[in-house]
Amino acid sequence: MSTLDSAPDAGQKIIRIVGFLCNWCSYGGADTAGVCRFKQPTDLRIIRIPCTGRMDPLFAARALIKGADGVLVSGCHPRDCHYAVGNFYARRRLELLKHFLPFMGFDERRFRYTWVSASEGQIWQKVVTEFSEQIHQLGPNPGVEKQPRTCDA
Amino acid sequence: MTTTDIEQLHKLMEDALPELEALIGWQPGYDALHAAPAIARTPEEASRLVFNPFCIHNLARTVAKTPPPPAKEGEAPKKIGVCVKGCDSRSIIALIQEGFLKREQLYIIGIPCKGTIDLRRLMKLAGEDLRAGVKSARIEGDSLVVEGAKGSRSFPLEKVLARRCMRCKYPNPVIYDVMAGDPVIPRASEEEAHKDVDAVENLPVAERLAFWQGELDRCIRCYACRNACPLCMCQDRCIAETRDPKWLPQYMGLSEKFIFHFIHAMHLAGRCTECGECERVCPQEIPVTLIKEKLNRITKELLDYEAGVSTEAVPPFLTFNPEELGI
Amino acid sequence: MSGKIYISRDGLAAAMEKLSRTMDVWTPAASAKDKWGVEFALYEPGVKPILDRQSTLSPKKTIFPQVEPLFQFERTKDPEDPSKTLIRLKDRPDAKPAIIFGAHPCDARGFFTFDKVFMEGPYKDPIYKDKREKTVIASVVCRECDDACFCSAVGGGPAEKEGSDIWITPVEDGYVLEAITPKGEPILEGLGAAATSQQEAAAAKVQEEAAQQVIAGGMKMTGETAEFMKHFEDKAFWQSAIAGCISCGVCTFVCPTCYCFTITDEARDTEGDRLRSWDSCMFYHYTLEASGHNPRPNNTDRYRNRLGHKFAYFPEKYDGMIACTGCGRCIRNCPASINIWKIAQSLKEQADACM
Repeated sequence: MSTLDSAPDAGQKIIRIVGFLCNWCSYGGADTAGVCRFKQPTDLRIIRIPCTGRMDPLFAARALIKGADGVLVSGCHPRDCHYAVGNFYARRRLELLKHFLPFMGFDERRFRYTWVSASEGQIWQKVVTEFSEQIHQLGPNPGVEKQPRTCDA
Repeated sequence: MTTTDIEQLHKLMEDALPELEALIGWQPGYDALHAAPAIARTPEEASRLVFNPFCIHNLARTVAKTPPPPAKEGEAPKKIGVCVKGCDSRSIIALIQEGFLKREQLYIIGIPCKGTIDLRRLMKLAGEDLRAGVKSARIEGDSLVVEGAKGSRSFPLEKVLARRCMRCKYPNPVIYDVMAGDPVIPRASEEEAHKDVDAVENLPVAERLAFWQGELDRCIRCYACRNACPLCMCQDRCIAETRDPKWLPQYMGLSEKFIFHFIHAMHLAGRCTECGECERVCPQEIPVTLIKEKLNRITKELLDYEAGVSTEAVPPFLTFNPEELGI
Repeated sequence: MSGKIYISRDGLAAAMEKLSRTMDVWTPAASAKDKWGVEFALYEPGVKPILDRQSTLSPKKTIFPQVEPLFQFERTKDPEDPSKTLIRLKDRPDAKPAIIFGAHPCDARGFFTFDKVFMEGPYKDPIYKDKREKTVIASVVCRECDDACFCSAVGGGPAEKEGSDIWITPVEDGYVLEAITPKGEPILEGLGAAATSQQEAAAAKVQEEAAQQVIAGGMKMTGETAEFMKHFEDKAFWQSAIAGCISCGVCTFVCPTCYCFTITDEARDTEGDRLRSWDSCMFYHYTLEASGHNPRPNNTDRYRNRLGHKFAYFPEKYDGMIACTGCGRCIRNCPASINIWKIAQSLKEQADACM
């Protein structure tokens, strides 16, 4: 059964994936996918950022620590950055994070970064579908807390 | 350090002091197993400075926090003198690299270092014997000899040295104006230096999480690790404490502790010189430096960069290379 | 019948097990496997009490935790008038009875500072009062004074009973326990066999020996207000005294008397907690004002305040009581080995020299 067709069962934890998309390429790419009515899984919550250069690796780390099931970062292809070099900086930082997360006990498959341009609606569909399926296979992120808390600010 | 070395050090200090605004070094602490950072301005104060295996503090932190003196009109500003071990010197290089210190404003007295003592390791071995009344302690060959209330005791160095010293590749200062004493041979090889990181990596991912949950759970967020770090430059404006943006609530849950340590670690990626101060000052014995060691290893593997060895190099996360096709 | 009881070293766990059925039992134990540090933890089977070493953090957290919710709140819409928001508050449950089993005399005396502030007014704190009254303190006669200790200089002592409810004296193979306040008496009932006269004599000898330890060179200290104020503006003095201070919170967090706190509302969506958590006068944000101005912008200003509060302002306000028990924790744990006792002393010496 494809994860695309399955509605979450009652009682099953809803999978939440946080997406950080750059304003100029990947956000446009996701838009293109929508306009073209490419079917996509609904687990992704998108946060628009001006550029992947603004992407502090701590955003992704914090999301995972707080219990997000997956984090997907996407920006312009290298050399196509709207601000010329933002994603060159991002590439180093995100690659570092990818190698670092497993050391602290986070499954590296929960974090992915990729490059999708504004015209690549179909590629976006593929990226989101693949990543969502991967996260569904991994199941909910246990997070770092051992005890539930009254309120989580 | 032998008596002749100490005399040599004092001679170097005496010679340099008249030209300096101040000289930063170590003075004896509350007992023979402690030293404390000190700022000497007079020959008398300088004569009280010491160097021994308990001079565990990284003075790069002190020098970075000592504001340069205002230059008198028509005169060149006086330099600040600082005594450094190998690890301290690498922090100074990193601070110069990032523009926080100016080389020409420093007078660096390098001291080859045979290692510093981890007091908790020593206490675990010695227990009650060294609690009070310790008269003196020194390194002799491969041992630490302590003259205590109940006579002399000797401890093998590899059992009492700090973890950072066991894996030290740079016992000799990398940058200095004068050197006090002869260079010493580095203690660790490249492979040995990473064995603690390897031990964590050999665990399955879920157990690594359990390991860090166990360690970080003891964190009391006193921020000693951050404040002791010579390269943590945000200090009073650290996002772990600011209200706007607010990253961390006051709860003492594991997620707050994880986020704080991620903040500290990620901000030091490609900058940390592994001086081990964060781990030393932790009152809760959390192996905080281990996190940075892993980040440094990643940086070395991906970008072939080591922090704190060249004042000319640019920290890798402050720059980029379009040709990196591998990543 | 003296009312003293004897518990063997091996029988300690059973006694704690028995106590833990009706109350929270806090006892010092290794902070983690293979670590040197000792920390107060709630007793549960498997916890091995360590009664012969000072804990890294004082037991103040048992009564005054690092963070505690004062209450919970929830915002809802008024069904009658949707433009109005109603706030529903949920009180915290009453405190459980507790015992601190294995404090040191300096730890027990630390709560005196808290009592002055939180129980004697003008603002009385019901949450602290509730816990304080339900907590029994059982202290061990201290035989572990080291070069950082100065308890007897500030009114305490290694065999000073004041502040404790139960007195634990280690003797060979076990402990002699004695209730020294009415609060401690019911705890000891049926907890162990009555102590024999030999055991009592051994305990008396241990107490006597402990009391004879010479601490801080036998110096005594009183509120040093005048000396402190004389050096208040002496920037060079403070700078050289605390050359390595890194403005971290270690000294205040390990301290048995540091009671400063901050209050924050931590909320998400419609519900949240009002939290009280430890604050530290060594932090920049402690005195940061809403305007952006900070009256204590650097470490010398902050350290001067910490010392001044303990040895001058507090005694001035509270009948000469020094807000320091001389436990030496801040000296031992300071990343820069700053010695508060030596600085307080040198204030006095310099003042004497001026006269």
